[in-house]
Amino acid sequence: MWPDGPQSTASSPRCVKGASCSHYIGPVATAEQTPLECHEVTKVFGVNLATARALLANGCDRQQVLDETGCLVAVQGATFSVQRGETFVVMGLSGSGKSTLIRCLSRLIEPTSGTVKIDGAPISELDDQELRELRRKRLSMVFQHFGLFPHRKVIDNVAFGLEIQGASKADRYERALEVLSVVGLGGWADHFPQQLSGGMQQRVGLARALCVEPEILFFDEPFSALDPLIRRDMQDELLSLQARMQRTLVFITHDFHEALKLGDRIAIMKDGEFVQVGTPEQIVSAPADDYVREFTEDAPKTKVITVGSVMRPLDGAAPSGEPVGVDAVLEDVLARLLADPAALGVVDDRGDVVGVVDRERVADLLGESSRAGAARADRAAEQP
Amino acid sequence: MTVAAPVTESSQAASAVEARLALERRHRIRSGSELAVGMAIVVAAQLALSSVGGFPESWAVPLADWIDDARRWIINNQTTHWSFSYIFNPISDSIDWGLRTVERFLLWLPWYAVAAAAGMVAAAALGMRAGLLGAVGVLYFGVVELWEESLQTVALMTVAVGISVAIGVPVGIASARYNRLQRSLRPLLDAMQTLPAFVYLIPVVLLFGVARVPAIIATVIYALPPVIRLTDLGIRNVPAATVEAAEMFGATPRQTLRKVQFPLALPSVLTGINQTIMMALSIVVIAALIGAGGLGQVVLESLRRLQVGRALEAGLAIVVLAMLMDRVTHGAAGLGSRRRRLRLMPDSLERLGFVRAIEGALESADRVLCRLGAALARPLRHAPGLAPLVRRPRWVLGLAALVAAAAAGAAGGQPAFPSAITFSFAPAIDWLVDWVRDNLYEIGGTWFGTGWFSDSITIYAVTPLRELFSAELAWPVVVLAVALAGWRLGGARLAAFCTSCVAGLGLLGMWTLSMDTFAQVIVAVVMAILCGIPLGVLAARSDRFERLLKPVLDFMQTIPSFVLLVPVIIMFNVGRVPGIIASVLYALPAATRLTNLGIRQVAGEATEASRAFGATRGQTLRKVQLPLAAPSIMAGINQTVMLVLAMVVIAGLVGGGGLGLETVKGLRRTDSVGSGFVAGLAIVLLAMLLDRLLQAWTRRFTPVDGDP
Repeated sequence: MWPDGPQSTASSPRCVKGASCSHYIGPVATAEQTPLECHEVTKVFGVNLATARALLANGCDRQQVLDETGCLVAVQGATFSVQRGETFVVMGLSGSGKSTLIRCLSRLIEPTSGTVKIDGAPISELDDQELRELRRKRLSMVFQHFGLFPHRKVIDNVAFGLEIQGASKADRYERALEVLSVVGLGGWADHFPQQLSGGMQQRVGLARALCVEPEILFFDEPFSALDPLIRRDMQDELLSLQARMQRTLVFITHDFHEALKLGDRIAIMKDGEFVQVGTPEQIVSAPADDYVREFTEDAPKTKVITVGSVMRPLDGAAPSGEPVGVDAVLEDVLARLLADPAALGVVDDRGDVVGVVDRERVADLLGESSRAGAARADRAAEQP
Repeated sequence: MTVAAPVTESSQAASAVEARLALERRHRIRSGSELAVGMAIVVAAQLALSSVGGFPESWAVPLADWIDDARRWIINNQTTHWSFSYIFNPISDSIDWGLRTVERFLLWLPWYAVAAAAGMVAAAALGMRAGLLGAVGVLYFGVVELWEESLQTVALMTVAVGISVAIGVPVGIASARYNRLQRSLRPLLDAMQTLPAFVYLIPVVLLFGVARVPAIIATVIYALPPVIRLTDLGIRNVPAATVEAAEMFGATPRQTLRKVQFPLALPSVLTGINQTIMMALSIVVIAALIGAGGLGQVVLESLRRLQVGRALEAGLAIVVLAMLMDRVTHGAAGLGSRRRRLRLMPDSLERLGFVRAIEGALESADRVLCRLGAALARPLRHAPGLAPLVRRPRWVLGLAALVAAAAAGAAGGQPAFPSAITFSFAPAIDWLVDWVRDNLYEIGGTWFGTGWFSDSITIYAVTPLRELFSAELAWPVVVLAVALAGWRLGGARLAAFCTSCVAGLGLLGMWTLSMDTFAQVIVAVVMAILCGIPLGVLAARSDRFERLLKPVLDFMQTIPSFVLLVPVIIMFNVGRVPGIIASVLYALPAATRLTNLGIRQVAGEATEASRAFGATRGQTLRKVQLPLAAPSIMAGINQTVMLVLAMVVIAGLVGGGGLGLETVKGLRRTDSVGSGFVAGLAIVLLAMLLDRLLQAWTRRFTPVDGDP
């Protein structure tokens, strides 16, 4: 039931019931177009917005703006784009502006400045009706505290999006039951949300978001209210769903490990600004500044860093034994390296041997992080 | 401080202590001297103006005459002027038509059908036992031969509550959506709830005359605020995340309202409707003053003729109606606990074998009936819209029975309530009243008795106070005293407000009557506080006492204020004192409740900390609980005063005198509408004056918030 690969662009027009469909909504998406693009998105909360904007334009920082105008700069100059099938994770601590940013993407919060384009069309130009159409058909969101409707049964929660679109009861129940079984809640349709555990409630939230077959899914810290074990299950489930459905995901989290696990690319956000955007490996192996380094220090590097980035060039003959792929993460080869002192050959996609990885290379990398950890502990010990 | 403090340091500390004590002494002297200076000014003014006396009558504005002129103009132009032919009369006619239709329908139904319908509704909302009690309650109307009057009141309530809901829910929804509307509505709603009910009656009488329609309009105005407020509150309390989720799915504002906000706000809306019904019922008797008819009329007439027994019968009918409607709407709002099992007797009797046998038999009868209902419902299965009925066989059965009963009634002529099962306990009550009058007034021929109690209050409290305020104190002294109090409690603005209120009393020509009422209010409030606050403290300290007290307070607050008069009249006959005592009874629950609540709300940690320092229970109460509960207790006192003022008119009906009596006269006789209106205005001025002063005083007890 999930199309394997990107949403077919030649699908029939997605408007029903004669809703006034704009040119933004129709089947304009083509394979080349970036599903989601943000350029310099800024959100300032407060009254004295004009002054605040002028100050920002003059290069004042967030604190200065707050002091001078009383306005809070929640998001400042966020620029990024997300490709089809990609999971873009925005990671930041509370108050860093990530929840505001994700709401700007669907205009649940109106950005103060900057543009958000969906399939190349700026959403700031949509009127209310067009915006609703966009939200109905092409966007979806999973909320931190689930945002379920407590007065509706699970199935009516899941079918809510279709109900809003005016789908018939039979159609929407059929689809809702399908999606419920996908998230593993087949038998729970007639329960009320409060009767379900936290993890199950968020499965309902996920099913509700998936039910409308959106192209872009927003996740606002969806798993942060869950127990660690349940959270891990949900993350695995999301990964496998995404592997099948290849949608465009924007995922907000405050958990760096979660970001590493789920993200194709990660943006680290601090005080409303991106401090670094990159693949998990880039961030772990080359943190942009001390703030990012703090997170990476106790990150599970062996799960993120690939063999390709620690291998040394091949000198001489390729080592005997089965080679490993460049994309394999260190964890995959660690056991073999520990068991056998011999170096391993590294092969690329085509099967050509491109390098060698051995104990020293890996030990260097791991030692570096433990040395850094020790240094940090020393510094901490010196503090009175 | 280090252990070995140098001598100089400890002497410094000692002098710091002394300085502190001196500072505190100065503060005490200062606040004491302020009071003393104020008193001195008032006394000096009184000595200087001792011959002035009450407010000069020649200064009074002839407002009453103007209103009577207006009334005459309205009567003369009612048929011709456009505002009547296009606005007031059509409103009036359509309400009248609605009322007649409902009334005719209710009275067309055979009596057993009405009782069964009430039972079914109660059963659906609360369970079987409530259903049976509801049916019995409705039968009571017939048993005491008040069938028609009761159904008239029900019809009046239905129409008034229907209009209130039809206006209140949409306004509440709009108010939840538009902050500006909410801001502008709030003072209006506050005023509607603060002002005593009868104040609306007079303008309504002016515009619509004396009849049932103005009674409905006044009831609607009085009962409207809760449903607006609670609809607004319910919608605003829907979590923002839920609304956001709906928006994210592209729901239009209307869809969000219909599918998310309103369903989630429904319990709150139903609570609002419940309160609206209770408020509407609470002015049934007052509305009867302007011709609402029904049970209120019976109570009023009987009280006027001192037929206490009959008044009690009708009063109890109002109580039954109030309880029934309160419980049913409470249950429908999902606030009460539902009990599905059929229970007739109190749970504690379940141990008895025969009780279990009876209930078991009833349950099997119920099962058989359910099966019958299900069989009846089977053909309806496929009818659109009727599907939910199939799951409720009792309903199907009940509806079928109702239809059959109504059809039988229509075919065979409407059976009147059978006179064989009527019963009046009025004579017994009247005998009791006589007995109380003959025997308790002076118990056993001694000086002690209710007569002594009543006379003492009159001789030592009410009369001297009335004389003091209305005759002995010069009117400028009263104005000055109130202005000083206002200035001390709330600054210049409050002083100006209070001064104009008091001066207004004089300018309306109501000085003497106002001071009479004021004296009664003071006596009633003092009595209510002296009884209510200690009860509240006791309830807060003993869970068992609270459990005992709670149903009593619930009952006192559920029954309409009027019904309180009946036992009071039994005990004390008529006059000023019964009015005062009825006011005390009416206002006491508020003082008790808020004292109890205030003390119980004191953080457990504060009480615990006090105990940890070895404070006795008394010390904890005095030094921790009472000071922390002070804002709540003050709010209780404020409510007490407002409730006493709301009873002023009702007290006027049993010989309370003062402004109340004047208002009642205005409502009863068309030729004194003007002076009645003016008296009503004076009550409003008095209420606003006391309310503002007490609120300012309350604020001084409220702890300062974090912000400096």
